[in-house]
Amino acid sequence: MAVAGTASQLTARSRRGVFGFGWNRLWLLVVPMTLFFIVFFVLPVLSMFALSLDKPAAGTVAAKGDFALTNFIRFFSQPLYYESIFRTVAISIASSVIAAVLGYPLAYLIAKTEHPGRNTFLMILVLASMQLDGVIRLYGLMVLLGDNGLINGSLIRWHVIGSPLPLMYNVFGVIVGDVQITLPFMVLSLIGVIRSIHPSLEEAARSLGASPGQTFRRVILPLSMPGILAGMLLVFALASSSYVVAALMGGWKVWVLPVHIFQQVSNGGHWQFGAAIATILFVVNISAIFVYQAVAARTSGGRI
Amino acid sequence: MAVVELVGLTKAYNGHVAVSEVNLKIASGEFFSLLGPSGCGKSTTLRMVAGFVAPDDGRIFIDGDDIVDRPPEKRDVGIVFQNYAIFPHMNVADNIAFGLRMRKVDKTEIKLRVGEALQQVGLAGYERRFQKELSGGEQQRVALARVLVTRPRILLLDEPLSALDKNLREEMKYWIKDLQKSLGITTIYVTHDQGEALTMSDRIGVMNKSRVVRVGTPTEIYERPGDLFVTTFIGESNLLDGTVRLSTADSIRLALGDGSEVSAPPRKGLIAGQRVKLVIRPENILLDGAPIDGLAGLPAVVEAKIYQGALIRYRLSAAGQSIVAEVQNQIGHTQYDPGSRITAHWHPERTEVLPVE
Repeated sequence: MAVAGTASQLTARSRRGVFGFGWNRLWLLVVPMTLFFIVFFVLPVLSMFALSLDKPAAGTVAAKGDFALTNFIRFFSQPLYYESIFRTVAISIASSVIAAVLGYPLAYLIAKTEHPGRNTFLMILVLASMQLDGVIRLYGLMVLLGDNGLINGSLIRWHVIGSPLPLMYNVFGVIVGDVQITLPFMVLSLIGVIRSIHPSLEEAARSLGASPGQTFRRVILPLSMPGILAGMLLVFALASSSYVVAALMGGWKVWVLPVHIFQQVSNGGHWQFGAAIATILFVVNISAIFVYQAVAARTSGGRI
Repeated sequence: MAVVELVGLTKAYNGHVAVSEVNLKIASGEFFSLLGPSGCGKSTTLRMVAGFVAPDDGRIFIDGDDIVDRPPEKRDVGIVFQNYAIFPHMNVADNIAFGLRMRKVDKTEIKLRVGEALQQVGLAGYERRFQKELSGGEQQRVALARVLVTRPRILLLDEPLSALDKNLREEMKYWIKDLQKSLGITTIYVTHDQGEALTMSDRIGVMNKSRVVRVGTPTEIYERPGDLFVTTFIGESNLLDGTVRLSTADSIRLALGDGSEVSAPPRKGLIAGQRVKLVIRPENILLDGAPIDGLAGLPAVVEAKIYQGALIRYRLSAAGQSIVAEVQNQIGHTQYDPGSRITAHWHPERTEVLPVE
């Protein structure tokens, strides 16, 4: 009886949570965050949607509510604009695939490193690369990839090539920049998933006759899919909306959606048209989530 | 059906010896248990046989083939893990078919053999289920079916019952033993549970501190432990301090604490004056009001009586030492209250004399 009493008291206490709230009052904890989110995310996004449906009026920032589809019609009737959707999506998909392929081995190594010191060292390497500002990291890349950069400079000096290779101010450069910026996110999202695959699954597969390659293909890779997909979604979102990478590495020659937005708003003061392109970018990224959900459901077998 | 032979198997991790000089010969169709406390090296030994750990030294033979340099997938050794290791992204049928697919077995035959295997473990109709939809006992059956369907030369079981609750554990103990017997597959079973080892095994190898200290049938291990560690690790024992008075080929005379002398079965290598332990299991002590002819006996005082239902447990003081006795609570059995002066008897052949290290 005494034991049962203690047990039920314990459950009651844990149900009340650490702050002593009941479930019915636990939602109070998220009020500050919700307010912040409404004021600084929901309202701006909604006003952006509204602005995108206004008639173009150079220099006007506030939504007036004079409804017109002019901005969207303009976007979808000119290849210069609508082709940048495909360019954005293609660059983002390429970046997420490359980040997954490059990041997986490192994530696997970190996940399987049991020695605490070595593990911490590898984690610090990954996290340290994230601590440096993106712009600084991109300037580093420019020093490497520019026409007079380290790579081209050396190759020309050694007479391997006569004129510089086009390593930046093109799609290649933007992808390199995107992968470089997003790789740590990919690695972090993979480490947890790979670590959660129990080593005995690998051993069971081997013992049942699978070579190391077959074990990877049939067991480790399918079980890593949730992490790979989550990482790819993250990279896609970061790459598709990055203005800085496209501007610095693409040098205003790679017209992706964020570059259009910046140009419309910053150079021409065309807030309405800029808002329309931003809305389209938003829709593209939301669609990526649906694709992710569909693929995740398919690759998870019957686990969901 | 295969004979397994381990020769001088040795493994150290960073200078810490995990397994040292293990020599075992396991007969075809035998159920052999490696029993020992955690960290004794039994799991490492099993993992060396499976091929997950490379020994520093020694050989592993299956039917005379030295497999020590082969990777796990080339050993034809089936292993069931403590956590069953069911592939969570495959259904039961695909789990069981995994080993057959790796062996490039024909599709129609895979289907047939998977069905047979499920039948064998009593899980027909479970083909489309996933790991999440299986209880612990069902997962274990799937793990066994997945291994047995490939017809491995030997079966390795790594503490397969420890994750189950008590009732299921009892049931699975007999089920696994029956299955093993009907298949006649040579089996190495790793456990820290003496009850499992005694119930299931044909023979047991008791391990302690990286070494196999005793090999024998369950009866031999329990009744003639022959080793102080084995005596205390398996079952309960009274260890009475004594000194050898006389050691002959037929018997030993021992002096216990207060000068009383008893006889015990002979043991080689003991000399007069040597300090030894006299080992008596609590259930082998008979209590009576007066001495009985033909039995060894010591005058004793009852210090405590603990009623345990089927058993009554007494704590006695005899020869200046504390002795535990367990008596079946049968009808007509005389119970003794604390303070009673009685005689504690035992059959000398049910005792052992072991030297103190």
